[in-house]
Formats: sequence, structure tokens, C-alpha cells
Amino acid sequence: MTARPDGASGPRSAAAITRVAPAGWRPACLRAHADGARFAGLFGAPRGGRAVELRAVFSTPAGERVIACETPERAVESVVDVLPAAAWDEREAHDLHGVRFVGHEPLRPLLDHDAALERWTVPVAGRDAHQVAVGPVHAGVIESGHFRFHVVGELILSLDLRLFYKRRGLEAAATGRPAEDAIAYAQRACAACAVTSSVACAQACEAALGLAPDDELRRARTVLLELERVYNHLHDISAICAGVGFAPGAAAYAALKERVQRLNLRLAGHRFLFGSVRLGGSDLAPAAADVADARAQLRTTGDEHAALWRQLHFSRSLQERLDAVGVLGRDDAERLGAVGPAARAAGLRRDVRSESTRLCYGGFAPVTPAVPAGDVASRMTQRAIELEQSLAVLDELLADPPAPGRTRAIGPTAAVAVGRVESPRGATTCLVELDGRRLRALHLRTGSYANWPSLVHAVPGSLLADFPLINKSFELCYACVDR
Amino acid sequence: MTAATAAAGAVQLLGCVAVAPLLPGTVQHLKARLQGRPGPSPLQPYRELRRLWRKSGVAPQPRTVIYELAPATVAGTLLIAALLVPIGGHAPDWGIGHDALVLVGLLALGRFAIALAAWDTGGAFGLIGAARDLTFAVPVEAVLLLVVVVLALPSGSTDLLALSALATTAEAWSEPAHWAAALAFGIVVLAELGRQPVDNPDTHLELTMVHEGPLLEYAGRDLAYLQWAVAARHWILLVLATELFVPRPEPFLAQVATLAGALPTWCVVLAVVETTQAKMRVLRVPVLIGTGAAICLLALISWHVRGGA
Repeated sequence: MTARPDGASGPRSAAAITRVAPAGWRPACLRAHADGARFAGLFGAPRGGRAVELRAVFSTPAGERVIACETPERAVESVVDVLPAAAWDEREAHDLHGVRFVGHEPLRPLLDHDAALERWTVPVAGRDAHQVAVGPVHAGVIESGHFRFHVVGELILSLDLRLFYKRRGLEAAATGRPAEDAIAYAQRACAACAVTSSVACAQACEAALGLAPDDELRRARTVLLELERVYNHLHDISAICAGVGFAPGAAAYAALKERVQRLNLRLAGHRFLFGSVRLGGSDLAPAAADVADARAQLRTTGDEHAALWRQLHFSRSLQERLDAVGVLGRDDAERLGAVGPAARAAGLRRDVRSESTRLCYGGFAPVTPAVPAGDVASRMTQRAIELEQSLAVLDELLADPPAPGRTRAIGPTAAVAVGRVESPRGATTCLVELDGRRLRALHLRTGSYANWPSLVHAVPGSLLADFPLINKSFELCYACVDR
Repeated sequence: MTAATAAAGAVQLLGCVAVAPLLPGTVQHLKARLQGRPGPSPLQPYRELRRLWRKSGVAPQPRTVIYELAPATVAGTLLIAALLVPIGGHAPDWGIGHDALVLVGLLALGRFAIALAAWDTGGAFGLIGAARDLTFAVPVEAVLLLVVVVLALPSGSTDLLALSALATTAEAWSEPAHWAAALAFGIVVLAELGRQPVDNPDTHLELTMVHEGPLLEYAGRDLAYLQWAVAARHWILLVLATELFVPRPEPFLAQVATLAGALPTWCVVLAVVETTQAKMRVLRVPVLIGTGAAICLLALISWHVRGGA
């Protein structure tokens, strides 16, 4: 797995942009979908007067396509009937910018918390059905999220989510700042995916500025991304064990995670790898001895993970809890635009890493469990096999110590560009619009944002007491969806 | 009243009130050590009780006297229940006898009071927890009764003094029925104490709670009573396990020494079970308890096949 020679199949330039009139919005989106491009996000940004600029991002193996549309009337035809994955995006654009999506019925409020209960929950009728509301204040240290279940006894009939409890204004604050500052805003969207959001933002900005990373920069960023994935996956396996009260697994994986976070501190100066990504270059240059030691420790981590995983596999009381719980079927995952380990556990062999020309993943092939059942067990197994994969990538990349990297100009600049990076939770899309070297807009759609609707879909049919476990098997972030 | 009986009475009161919090505290401490954490000191429950005792209460609205009386009812039933359980085969007559069936009833009464309180305030988690607790309680009570019946077969009495005296004899263990009853009682202990794999006492996830759910609304001294009641439940069931099933010499002091040795041992057993077993899926718990009932039925069959009188 070596870096591609610079320029051979070099980084793609900025995304291809198609500008359409409001009437052409739906046909253009549907055409992109029919051509096999995958929906990757829909963003609204206010323009002068009443107008709103809508941009839909579609991803293809050859690069991202952006469909842009300025709508003075703030109304376009909805695409949600063909692309259910766009449901949250349309609801968000409606709540933030007042865009009407004709045909999206009922257009339930997402960010708007003033709405009456009947407007934002799916109605459920029948004997003995009742509601159980959980949160936004929980009994433990959990982020603010309100879950409203319709249940009969222990059986969940449907779930309605209400997130967006914090007004963060990250995207608004980034507007008008120099491009160099963009990463600082993207990084703070979420601590656990800080590197992913930073790299996605860096790639978008560099594509817009016509810059391409050299081999060292690609290698440094790939190392950081995989370190982030390793500590996240270790954490998630620990959390699933803790969710069923299986202490040995929880404690052992928490210890491995701690070890990797200490490695992060030694290699990059921060346990969560904050501040390790910057625009146009990389300063990551740890001492050779530290890198050799880190490589050895990661190998030990891999061996311990393999041994622990075998033990978990034969722990009957644990396995009994995981099978056939919170099932997300392959077709539903596809339809709802699921990404990351959750999608691969459902059988979608899809990973942005295999098409990341701006990173160092030559010959990367996504993996799935032998039987991708889409249940809690599959999602946990998915993380275990991805851990092995990530540790192998790291072992190869750390054979030589990372050296400072930089970018070089390869092409014309563009106003709008997209960066897409695979986070531990799935594909993260970052769209930037530059005005010279200043940010005109910064949009981030993280893997968590993409997967929350899939979680809602996976829950009905399970027992109320199993919901926290299902939630942990997706392990989505609340903070990075806050607007 | 002999000196032994008086001493047993003192241990009953002192143990139930003062020693009981040490039991869940010890289990938590051992559990943490088994999981590689320093963990809280075994004395942590006492600190919790002191903290709660000093705090003012917060009462939900709406509520009625049912909610307000529940902590006292639960604490009262457990105090009386503790006075039923003999110590070292002796117990003073507190005027309530020592019938095992009364004990089963008192435990049920405490559970009923807390379930009613959950219903009174109508909080979702309280009701979910109470509903699960009652769902488990039906088979648990049945198994506990069956255990009493199996144990009562040789002596023909459900008096706890008689049952305890029986356990000091070696002959008791020559009966397969006695072994079966011990096994079934183990399942009852796990379910009654709300320990893994039946319930996770450490959980902070409202949706998974069983025993913790109805306690969520309480604060201050009310919560202190209820927390103490959880500890007292540990005392009662673990003392009972010792009295009914641990073979020991006849003299009173030897019996008390056995008890002093057995209680920490039970704590170790609980900590090990809780560490190695994940929590069960909530609707699988009645199946586990049902297994206890099946074991008791086998015990009854074995007793009759072997021609027990």
C-alpha cells in the first residue's frame, strides 16, 4: 500500500458544478441519481433578499458533482420521494432558511423545537399503544437528545427523534473568515471525528484553491485519520460491552483505547488529535524512535484485540444480547443513505477510503462481515474487522516516520469545492464556498448526520430495554449535527 | 429467653440496620477490583446514606399519600422481614413468628408499595421499571414458595427456625431435593437483589432499569430509606441463604462465626457472577426464573420417588 505517484491518477480538481433554475432542481437531482451518483448532502445558504442558494452534492467514483440552484421564491420541488436520504437535509433547509419543498408531505420540523407534538411525531393509533419520552436531560452523562417512543408494553412501534438542542452557529461563525481558519471551525464540530472533519474541510479548501497534496501530506493525514478510527472503534466495542453490563470486555477495550489515545498524544500532541491538520501542509514530524515505538504498540494492540475478540465471541451471555437486535436491512440502508460501519454491516460494500485520491489508501477494498445481518452483532463485528484493516494500514504507513508535507498548485481555482472523507461513523461531506481566500460558506454533513435516520428505522420491532444498546451500536454524535 | 436468643435478636437488629449497607458496598468494591478499577470503598453506601439523609426532598407533582408512604412502607416491611430471619438458628419471638410464608408476603408487600408509588406519580421510567419488576416478581415469588415447600418436606413445617435447624444436620444434604432447592434459591437471590444477569444495578440508562426506575422520583431522606431497603434486602436474602443452606456445627457461636464467614463469600460470588455475565435480554429473565421453578418441581418429584414421608 504505497502512495500513488504524484499526478499519475492525481487528485481530482474541484467538484463539477451544474447550475439550474428552480424548475430544473428536481430533474437535475433525479438525473444525477439515475446516473448512479450517490446523494451526499443538501445545503442551503442565504443570498441577498429572500433568495436562498441550494446545493446538492452527489458523489461518484470519478468525483463529486454539485447541483446548485438559487431560488428567489424559496421553493423547489422535493426529491425526498426518490431520495429518502435527503429527508433530514430538506427539513433542515426548511427550518433554517424557510425553503418550501413542494411534495415533501408532511414536512416535519427538525430544528424548529416550537412545533406541537403532533407536527413532529409520526402518529400511531391502536389499543394499548402509548408514548415513552426520554431526554433531553438523561440520568447519565449523555448529550441532549429527545427520544419519543411509541410502544406496546416492551415492544417499540416507532421512534421520533428530536436533536438540535444546541445553537452552535459554527457555520455562520466561519463565514467571512480566511480560508486558513476554516479547519478550526470544522474540527470543533465533534471531538471524536475531529480529524475527519478537519481533513474533509482541508481537502475542500485546497480543491477550491487549486492545490494538491504531496505524498508526505497524504501520508500524514492518512495516519491521523486511521489513528482516529482505531481509538473510536476500540471505544465503540467497549461501549457495546458496557451497554449490556459485560464488564470484562468493556474494561479491556477501554484500556486499549486509552493506550491508543496516549499514542495520539505522543505522535500528534493531542489525545483527540486536535490541531494536527492545517490547510496546505502538515507539520507532523514525530521522532523516529517515537514512531517505531508507536508501530510496535499498535502491533501489540492488534494482537490483544484479536485475543479479546475471540473471548468475546465465545461469551454466550454477551452474544445472546447482540443477535437480531436493531436490524437495519441492506435495502433500507441503501434507501436511507446509511454510511460507514452501519452501512457495511448491512452489506453495503462502500467506503470513501477506496476512492480517496487525496489520501494514501492505494488498493483499499472495503470489508463487510461474513454474514452482514445489519444487527447490533454485525455492527460490532464490522468494527472489529475494520480495526484489523486500519492497524494494517497504520503499520505500513508508519514504516518510515511521517515528514512535513505540503501542497502544490495543480489547476485553476474554483468558488465551490467538496471534500469527502470516511470518518469512524461514515462518510463526512464538507462543502466550502470561497470568495477569493475568504469563506463565503462552510457546510459539514458528518457520518452521524447521515446515519441518524437509519437508527430511527432500525429500532421498531426491538424491545424498549434494548434501545440504548442499539443506539450504542450506531454510536452517533449529537454535537456535530447541531447547527 | 436464653443468652443465645438475646444475642441473635441483637444481631438481627444490628445487622439489618448497620451491617446491611456493607454488603452491596462490598459487592461493588469487589466488582470494581475484578474489572481492574480501584472502585469505591466498601463503605460507600454509608456515605451515600449520610449524604441523602442531610439533603432535602423534592417531591413530584401530582402525587398522593401513596407516593409519600411508600419509602416508609418498604423500609418497614424489610425491617419486620429481617426480624423473621433467624441468626445462628436462634431468634427471639418478636410477636410475629418466624414463618417463611410471612417473609415471602412481606417482600411482596414492599414491592407492591413501590409499584403503587410509581403508578401514583405516573413517571414513565418508574412505571416501566415497576412493570418489569412485577413481571419478574410473579415467577420469583412462585419459585421462593416452592423452595420453602421443598425445604419444609422433611420437617413438615415452614417455620424458619425449624428449617434452619435442619440445615445443621448432614442428612439434609443427602437429599437431592435439598441441592435442587439451593440452586433455585440462588436464582431467587439474583432476581430479588436486582443483580446481573437479571438487572444491572450500575446502569444510568433509564430505559434498561428495573429496580432503579421507580426510585428515580425520590430524593433526600425518602431515597435514603429506599437505598437502605435495597441493602436490607441483601442482608435478609444472604443471611437466609446461609441459614437454610450452609452446613455448620450446632453451637450458637460456631453458627454465628459461619454466618460471618459466609456473608463475604456470598459477596464474592455475586461480584464474580456480575462480572462474568452480561445482563439478560429483559424478556428472557422470566425464562431463567422459570428454570428455578422447574428445578423445584424436580425436587418434589425426587422427594416422592425416594419415598420421603
